[in-house]
Amino acid sequence: MRRLLLGYAIFAAILYAIPGIFTRVHPYTMSDGVQMAILAIAALGLIPLTGYANQISLGQAAFYGTGAYASAILTTHSGWSPWLAMLVGAALAGGGAYLLGLFIFRVSGHYLALATIALGLVLAIVARQLAITGGSEGIPGVPYLSLFGVEVVGDVDYYYLTATALLLATLVVGLVVRSSLGRSLTAVGDSAFAAAASGIDIARYKRVAFVLAAVLAAVAGSLYAHWVTYIDVHTLDLLLSIQMLIVVAVGGMRTVWGAALGSFIVVSLVRFSKEWLPALSEKAGGQVEIVAYGTALILVLLFLPRGVAGGFADLFHRLRSTAGTAREPASAVAAAGAGTAEAAREIAQAGSQRGERP
Amino acid sequence: MAEFFQFVVTGLATGAMYALVGLGIALVFQVTGVINFAQGHFVMLGALTFAILAESGVAPLPAAALALAGTTMVGFLLDRLVIAPARNQPTDRLIILTIGASIVIEGVTLVAFGTQPRAAEPFSPGVLRIGGVSLERQYLWVAGAAAVAVAAVWFFLTRTTLGKAMRGVAMDREAARLMGISPSRMSLLVFTLAAALAALGGVALAPIQHPDPGIGIALGLKGFTAAVIGGLDSPAGAVVGGLLLGVAEAVAAGYLPSGYKDAVAYGVLILLLVARPTGLLRTVRAVRV
Repeated sequence: MRRLLLGYAIFAAILYAIPGIFTRVHPYTMSDGVQMAILAIAALGLIPLTGYANQISLGQAAFYGTGAYASAILTTHSGWSPWLAMLVGAALAGGGAYLLGLFIFRVSGHYLALATIALGLVLAIVARQLAITGGSEGIPGVPYLSLFGVEVVGDVDYYYLTATALLLATLVVGLVVRSSLGRSLTAVGDSAFAAAASGIDIARYKRVAFVLAAVLAAVAGSLYAHWVTYIDVHTLDLLLSIQMLIVVAVGGMRTVWGAALGSFIVVSLVRFSKEWLPALSEKAGGQVEIVAYGTALILVLLFLPRGVAGGFADLFHRLRSTAGTAREPASAVAAAGAGTAEAAREIAQAGSQRGERP
Repeated sequence: MAEFFQFVVTGLATGAMYALVGLGIALVFQVTGVINFAQGHFVMLGALTFAILAESGVAPLPAAALALAGTTMVGFLLDRLVIAPARNQPTDRLIILTIGASIVIEGVTLVAFGTQPRAAEPFSPGVLRIGGVSLERQYLWVAGAAAVAVAAVWFFLTRTTLGKAMRGVAMDREAARLMGISPSRMSLLVFTLAAALAALGGVALAPIQHPDPGIGIALGLKGFTAAVIGGLDSPAGAVVGGLLLGVAEAVAAGYLPSGYKDAVAYGVLILLLVARPTGLLRTVRAVRV
């Protein structure tokens, strides 16, 4: 328990230290920081769903877009409070996921991936046609969020808000995966037969994980809408869903830190590929980074099946097991970069607790 | 009524294309348990390679052969480089790998060829008219290519030893392994075969739908719908499913606002997965966990 609290304390310390780093280190900007936090929240729900229950969702953007559109429409057309609109968006997404989950988990298999990809594409087509969603032009003029009567404008302030949201969301997902629900999901993912034989209602647990993923994605979508103050059908894009899947796969699907770590890696990849390959990017319509993160996804899944976090955990284990004879490597890693090494150690601890559980 | 017949004929012609994509998806799923998200991208690769070669003055036949060979090679490499090394991982990780491969294929073609659509000349230009129904002649090539491919796959699966071995793996991987059939080699074979089928469809499609690197996802999803209509693991069902989907889409598109045309196939897919995930064409429900 102390280890776990320490984990969250270190995670919070890293999150709140990021503005100090990103405002000084080229080529990062604070808008990358906000993007990372929002992407991590949106992808976080995939850890119980895909990492534990082995169900692939390619519809995270459908729920993200639902949140974004609910916030945009309710605040601009109906003049609602942004927080209330966010709540409605989350409820819509969660309700939709619950309904779809009622049917889709009746049979097992990988039907969820197909159903969610189709759901996202249908919503994108509908959003492009309807007047209330602004057609392909989207919705401008979404108000800023205000907290205790103060408008949160500017990337640094908004980063603190989204980072806090990420911290809370990570706590929630952390509690979920450590609860009996998380253990049941693990059982379902490991062997559906054995889980069913032990009396676990497989469909119900998958549904709960799916609803949680949808709600988190919707909240992230609302946060995005109030940050850029303008949204269009890109919030429903399939590529965004794929990106969220990549975030958890690269970061590590079996630990709550995977989403934050993965979104740091993915946003960095996008940033660096834009920085280094601008010529390529122009010809390819600015989507050249999909090569980078597609390749990253394949390489990580092949060589680090438990993601970068799992890789850190293995490294830490190896270092600790040889620590008696050679103390140097561990301290070398610690010296390499205070922040990263701390993160590595923390993630390693969390990973070893989680990964080794039968 | 003539209008309706027109929709049915156009639908069957485009449905032949979906059938071909769906056939590849069903074969790969049956043999490996993997839903191959790169199948539509194989069609895109075949169509784009053919169109680019044709644009630069290569004669149709060698251009088609090169497009076919190139795409088949990509299918071969997908299995060897991405699927085979991860063979021992759970199926959902393999599916995620095919998603990764699909966006790499799309990204690399984007970087190499840009976003603009390419146009290939139809094999036989003009429009065919029978009664009140008219059809671009190129559609006959699509339908013909699909028919030849389906016949060839049927012959392969039922009349050759290799094809029977492949069906053996599909029925029971462990038992097949005990009989000396290597599931890993069958996986290589089925991915290569699926890529070849897709490329064939792509070449025939290129003159109708001017291909760009972005057409893969939509084609793939229509292929999934076709395959799911047939129950996902039935090659014959996928072919029928593709034709049904083509007709349903053409008829619905005829009466719906044009912006919603693509939504028909996706809507059908969702409804199907919700109402009858084991396929429309099944009478016996397979229990799978």
